[in-house]
Amino acid sequence: MEHVLEVRGLVHRYGDYTALSGVDLTVKAGECVALLGPNGAGKTTLVRNVIGLIEGNADLIQVAGGSPRRAETRRRLGVVQQAVGFPRSLTVGEIVGSAAARRGLSPEAASRAIAEMGLAGLEKHRAAQLSGGQQQRLQLAMGLVADPVLLVLDEPTEGLDVEARRRFWNTIRRRLDNGAGVLVTTHLVDEAAAVADRVVVVDRGRVVAEGTPDELRRTLSERRISVQTKVPVSVIRTFDSVETVELRDGRTVIATTDSEQVVRRLLDLDPEANDLTVATASLEEVLIAITQHEEVLI
Amino acid sequence: MNTRIFLTEVRDELLSIFREPIALFFSVLVPVAFFALFATMFGGEGGFGVESVARYGAFGVLSVVLSNPGISLADAIERGWLRVKRADGTPLGVTLSAKVTAALPYAIITLAGITLVARLTAGPLDTIQVLRVIGVLLLGSLPFSLFSLAVGAKFSTNSATAVLNAVLIPSVILSGLWFPLEMLPAWLGNIAVYLPPYHLAQLALAQVEGGAVWGHLAYLAGTTIVGAITAALAYRSAEV
Repeated sequence: MEHVLEVRGLVHRYGDYTALSGVDLTVKAGECVALLGPNGAGKTTLVRNVIGLIEGNADLIQVAGGSPRRAETRRRLGVVQQAVGFPRSLTVGEIVGSAAARRGLSPEAASRAIAEMGLAGLEKHRAAQLSGGQQQRLQLAMGLVADPVLLVLDEPTEGLDVEARRRFWNTIRRRLDNGAGVLVTTHLVDEAAAVADRVVVVDRGRVVAEGTPDELRRTLSERRISVQTKVPVSVIRTFDSVETVELRDGRTVIATTDSEQVVRRLLDLDPEANDLTVATASLEEVLIAITQHEEVLI
Repeated sequence: MNTRIFLTEVRDELLSIFREPIALFFSVLVPVAFFALFATMFGGEGGFGVESVARYGAFGVLSVVLSNPGISLADAIERGWLRVKRADGTPLGVTLSAKVTAALPYAIITLAGITLVARLTAGPLDTIQVLRVIGVLLLGSLPFSLFSLAVGAKFSTNSATAVLNAVLIPSVILSGLWFPLEMLPAWLGNIAVYLPPYHLAQLALAQVEGGAVWGHLAYLAGTTIVGAITAALAYRSAEV
């Protein structure tokens, strides 16, 4: 499938500080890639390079078929950035209308984007007076007027309530179905797990892990066993491969790297043990493990 | 493509200025009110004629072009709005040119107000002279707009407003735009020749009284180059 974003060997320095050191990243048409990582990992620097706001050194950065430093290329993107305030005096209709006019598109393109983002009826409202969720949708509406081939979303649902988030992602899914690629950064790991086809974990300026959410979960060998048993916690702690044991609401929760062996020993000691479940690690646990012990996974 | 973007940007800038009536009040009405006050107090029987339009008009134009582009740029940077514009492919030069251009209609309104007061106090004015004075003042405003952009790129909105006001009032007084230089202490009057507003006013006055223009023109051209370099450096160091 065609790449709508291709980054090879991106290095970005702020003075002596290296924010990105040799990052590779791709997004295909119709694919949603989530960029995860702790604060200061380099996600926003990477996004700003992708949308052409800053320029690092790279073997290749190709966005929507061109260099992001070219204005014509950027007009083919849909971008939602963090911490944006709209001009106090312009209305929703004027802001999206101007975004369309700057690209040589008709006012109808603006009306379609406004409707798609659920902002119809608010055209005459001052943008600065909209709620946080409406402002995020307005920013996306500006980008949607051009029918973008790549959407770049930097923490797009930060501060949104559940309903606003659901509506936001419904729109993104429709665009994905129509063949647009999506690059999204988020701190909401569950959200990333739900919407992303692929997750890229960045830490200290490097890509430290990459794969589908399931693939990443499997990289962490730890499993979580939850069971109702009479075997004391102190005994379970002596089992090989058990990392932690705790009692939670009358249930024993065991973290282990060898769930099969632990379950067998438990049932040997307590054949009446019941309500037993074994779960893989959550994406959040994987992320924590990766960014705390990244040398294991590189 | 860039012409369309430029026109869209100018329209948005004009709307933004028009919908902030308080800013408009200070930029447009204050110079006109000052001129009316001085014309009434010091105009005598002859009133304030075209030469006064040149001097006070320079003040009126500066009060608009020194404040609006810079404050508007500082606000756009502070809000992250300039980042949004750049990310959607709006060339930076077009955005900045639009901010400079959008100030001009308000400068024209100020000059029209000052001209009207002059007409009321001094009687009929020479139309050609008035048009030449207005043309020179508008064209000569470019270095001041560039300086305003430099301040707007470097400072927050509140600080930019304070800095630009702090520059405007002393420089127009020291350049002899409010009171003739002869009324100032000699050592203060000697400073005027180093100040760009003085040269703008002299260039405008030359359209009425005649006299050399090349020296003033060269000074303003040099100021334009310095202003452009300063604006570019300030923008490069700004956190957009």
